[in-house]
Amino acid sequence: MRMRRGVGPVRAAVFFLVLAVAPTFGLAHWLLTMLVFTLMFAVMASAWNLLGGFTGYPSLGHVAFFGIGAYAVVLWFQHHDISSGYEPFLLLPAIGLGVALVGLPIAAIAMRTRADVFAIVTITLLFVGQTLAFNLRDITGGAQGASIVPAPFPADSYEIPFYDALVVLLAVSMGLTWATMRSKVGLSLAAVRMDEDKAAGIGVRVQTVKLLAFCVSVGLTAMIGGIWAYYEGFIYPQFAFDPLISVAMVLMTFLGGRATLWGPVLGAFILELAQQYFAYSLGGSRFYLIAYALVFLVVILVMPRGILPSVRDRLWRRGRRRIVDAQLPAGDGPL
Amino acid sequence: MSKRNGTVAVVTAALLLTTGCSSPGGSASGDAGAPLVIGASVSLTGDFSDSGKAVQRGYQLWADTVNAAGGILGRAVQLKIVDDASSPTQVVTNYQNLINKDRVDLTFGPFSTLLTIPASQVAKRYGYAFLAPAGGGPKMFEQNLDNYFFVQPAPTVQSGDVFVNYVLSLPADRRPKTAAYAELDDPFAAPLAENVRQKLEAAGVRTVYKQVYPSETMDLSPMMGAIAALRPDAIIAGTQNEDAYSQVKSLVQLKFSPSVLFQSNGANSPMEFPDKVGAGNTEGILSPADWFPGSKAPGSADFTAAYIKKYGGTAQSIDDSSAEAYAVGQVISAVAARTNKIDNKTIISSLHAGSWPTLLGTLSWSANGAPSGEFNLVQWQKGKLLPVFPASVAQASPEAPKPAWGG
Amino acid sequence: MVQGVILGVLTAGVYALMASGQTLIFGIMRVVNMAQGAMVILGAYLSYQLFTSFGVDPFLAIPATTAVMFTVGVAVQLIFLRPLHQDDRTQLSVLVTFAVALLLEGVMSVLWSTSDRSINTGYVNASWTVLGYQISLVRLWAFLLSLVALGLLHVLLRRTRFGRAVRASVQNPESARLLGVDADRIAAIGFGLGAATAAAAGSVYGLLYPFNSGSHYDLISQLLSIVVLGGLGSIGGAVVGSLVISVSTAVVASAFSPIWAPMTFFVVLLSVLLIRPRGLFGTAARGAL
Repeated sequence: MRMRRGVGPVRAAVFFLVLAVAPTFGLAHWLLTMLVFTLMFAVMASAWNLLGGFTGYPSLGHVAFFGIGAYAVVLWFQHHDISSGYEPFLLLPAIGLGVALVGLPIAAIAMRTRADVFAIVTITLLFVGQTLAFNLRDITGGAQGASIVPAPFPADSYEIPFYDALVVLLAVSMGLTWATMRSKVGLSLAAVRMDEDKAAGIGVRVQTVKLLAFCVSVGLTAMIGGIWAYYEGFIYPQFAFDPLISVAMVLMTFLGGRATLWGPVLGAFILELAQQYFAYSLGGSRFYLIAYALVFLVVILVMPRGILPSVRDRLWRRGRRRIVDAQLPAGDGPL
Repeated sequence: MSKRNGTVAVVTAALLLTTGCSSPGGSASGDAGAPLVIGASVSLTGDFSDSGKAVQRGYQLWADTVNAAGGILGRAVQLKIVDDASSPTQVVTNYQNLINKDRVDLTFGPFSTLLTIPASQVAKRYGYAFLAPAGGGPKMFEQNLDNYFFVQPAPTVQSGDVFVNYVLSLPADRRPKTAAYAELDDPFAAPLAENVRQKLEAAGVRTVYKQVYPSETMDLSPMMGAIAALRPDAIIAGTQNEDAYSQVKSLVQLKFSPSVLFQSNGANSPMEFPDKVGAGNTEGILSPADWFPGSKAPGSADFTAAYIKKYGGTAQSIDDSSAEAYAVGQVISAVAARTNKIDNKTIISSLHAGSWPTLLGTLSWSANGAPSGEFNLVQWQKGKLLPVFPASVAQASPEAPKPAWGG
Repeated sequence: MVQGVILGVLTAGVYALMASGQTLIFGIMRVVNMAQGAMVILGAYLSYQLFTSFGVDPFLAIPATTAVMFTVGVAVQLIFLRPLHQDDRTQLSVLVTFAVALLLEGVMSVLWSTSDRSINTGYVNASWTVLGYQISLVRLWAFLLSLVALGLLHVLLRRTRFGRAVRASVQNPESARLLGVDADRIAAIGFGLGAATAAAAGSVYGLLYPFNSGSHYDLISQLLSIVVLGGLGSIGGAVVGSLVISVSTAVVASAFSPIWAPMTFFVVLLSVLLIRPRGLFGTAARGAL
């Protein structure tokens, strides 16, 4: 346990240093583009983990908030000018905060239900969002889609501002995760996951912490939606509210390891890079979807707790065979 | 405990590994003799994959035809077609990869239509001409991209104009008096039907019903029931595919056959439509088309023969998406033949002027890439889809009124 | 309006059949089966194939397709669901069954491509005129078939040894086990039954609507709404939920606008959940089937 204390921050520092300086080595545009999308999913998986990983409330509707963020940016800049190109990034904190506030009453209703029904209610949220985006035509443009002025950045360094903004958001989201894990909030969330009624019984402020987790989680997701919309330049309801984005967040978190600091990020880097690369290089193979589903199934069956906890368990057991520690609950340490 | 740093190690390694192969400076284009590499991202998996494959066949057929004749300016055409799985993020990555990693000489547009706008902006950023066989919605032209060229006779919204002209060509007593509009909420179908509605209303055709329906509506019977109750002379439907079939099936069940039935899409599919609604129920239905079997437009006969030779089937089984993709290639060939050069700058500057013959008819473009021609009106007659208007292309005279179902 | 109600009631039968399988699976195993929609579509494809290759009428093909899908369901339960740990089965099963749905979608798109299919029998467009309203023959048959299938399911659960074992393990898995009920076997057969109802519904679905390998996304969102509305695990609830949702959707679509029809049932669903978080017929504890 003592060894972990020092390693965490060093690891984080190295990781973010690599991320921050990587573009200065003249990464090609195509690679930066792939990294931009990967970072988007890394932040979203990390944000999903704050709710789904720590409290065990499996939201399948986070993309509803992603879509709200996307439309917020696009609609705002249909009425306001973009001159330097950085304005949409400056708007993001307001969007994050606004969506977190919008999320509060939604969470209060949705979280009256437990795990299974909660999953379904959140799916409903996603379809409500999509239906509204389609039907409030005067505001959203409906099925015609909505456009935002392309960023006026030079082609040579076009991706860099997006990339930098995403690195900052990843640092924020991982920082929040780290702080959660070290504080009483983290403990309370774990108590909610284990046995919510019992936790409430012994005086854990169940309602407060789970609502807080929900709001922070969806706020971060909405900010990514905003960046995505700006990067794409044009959005349609079915793409801004795509159920597969929700599924990707969940899958990445499960793949890397729920309720861990690095798990969701690792999951995003593996899955998103692999997906983007394979769709490009193995294009035309109809077996792509089958392969994706099989990977999904194998991961859950072989490593139901994700890569990091499974690997850690194996190391842990090898190192200390005498201490019986097979009962270690998922993600009690900041790995 | 050193393995605990595995995360960082893996990520760093991945980054370094990929940066290693990304050093800029691929083969610049322009060398005579080197192959002319053309990249396109097409939906080969996902929702739009069947039409995506039709587009791929059209591109491939053109490349084969050109290469058999010695290539373009002596350079063999080599296609690099990648899959975007019908996803808007993948399509951006794909064109980035094609342009900056594989350094293709030219790019062709994607299918689906919903992916054309993000894709064309990537192409624009790097100065690539962007010729697309699909993606002619109003929002596309609002982008005002000077590198974009929509390779169809007219913007999709105006493909109903030919139907309006046909109605107006009828003597006043034979025109429909009342019309009902059923419009699919997507970037093309609803605006197309709205365009027809405005023009017909201006000509005195009274609108008795108008309804927009979302694309996931599986059951169109309630809406068709409401229309049938009003017994309009004409039903004008902005449709895509399966909704067109559902509309016809509902009308048959409701035993209501209007004297004019126009569907903007789906009904112009020569194989699927009779298969889905029953061959006896197709008689008299109208639809717009750019290419049709037996078209006399330049290159059409060669295209049809080559298609059947390579992929089998009959002229009736060719999807218009293949023809539209083939036309993209025809335009490129024509630019090379006229200017004796083939590069993106030349293509962009050439295509904004003059007219360009293709198997879809002769095309020309305005500054934002909108073509300025007109579609043809086709009608089902005795199990065949025939051009009936305008007279210059008609192979049969229009049948009116539409007979009862199951004729 | 009346036409809308007629349509809604007839459609509700088919949805009730699909949803009963879903709710049965949940009742027995606490598994939210995200693959139910994909199984319905697979059933539709099977009956499409039997019809186009051998001319077998979709209604007559149902015994064959249900048998095949029963096997598929048992296999899915044995391979993918049984190995899951009991403690987080509910959460993981949502993901596993979603992955199964993707897998089925992938397989279907390879076998049948992604273009729309529909089953066109000779009678598919026939309709009867009753009091000036059109009643589509195929919808009526579909409705009757669904009633028969639901009746059979009811008899199976109420009148047989297997049914008693199922109900016992739904109400109290521990004491059921003590009484010698093989919970694993019940779960496997239960999942098989759920898949079999999907197959029966699929044959009918293929007659009513065009479908492709991606159609299950629209379907699953509606099925989930129905079972949550009715209360997860309650077959009676699934029937009532289907009625509420199909009738309100059809009435809104014909009287008001099809655009807001999908919104109707989300609104109904959310307002029910606001009052009764467990659905109309759900109970907080494990309930009767």
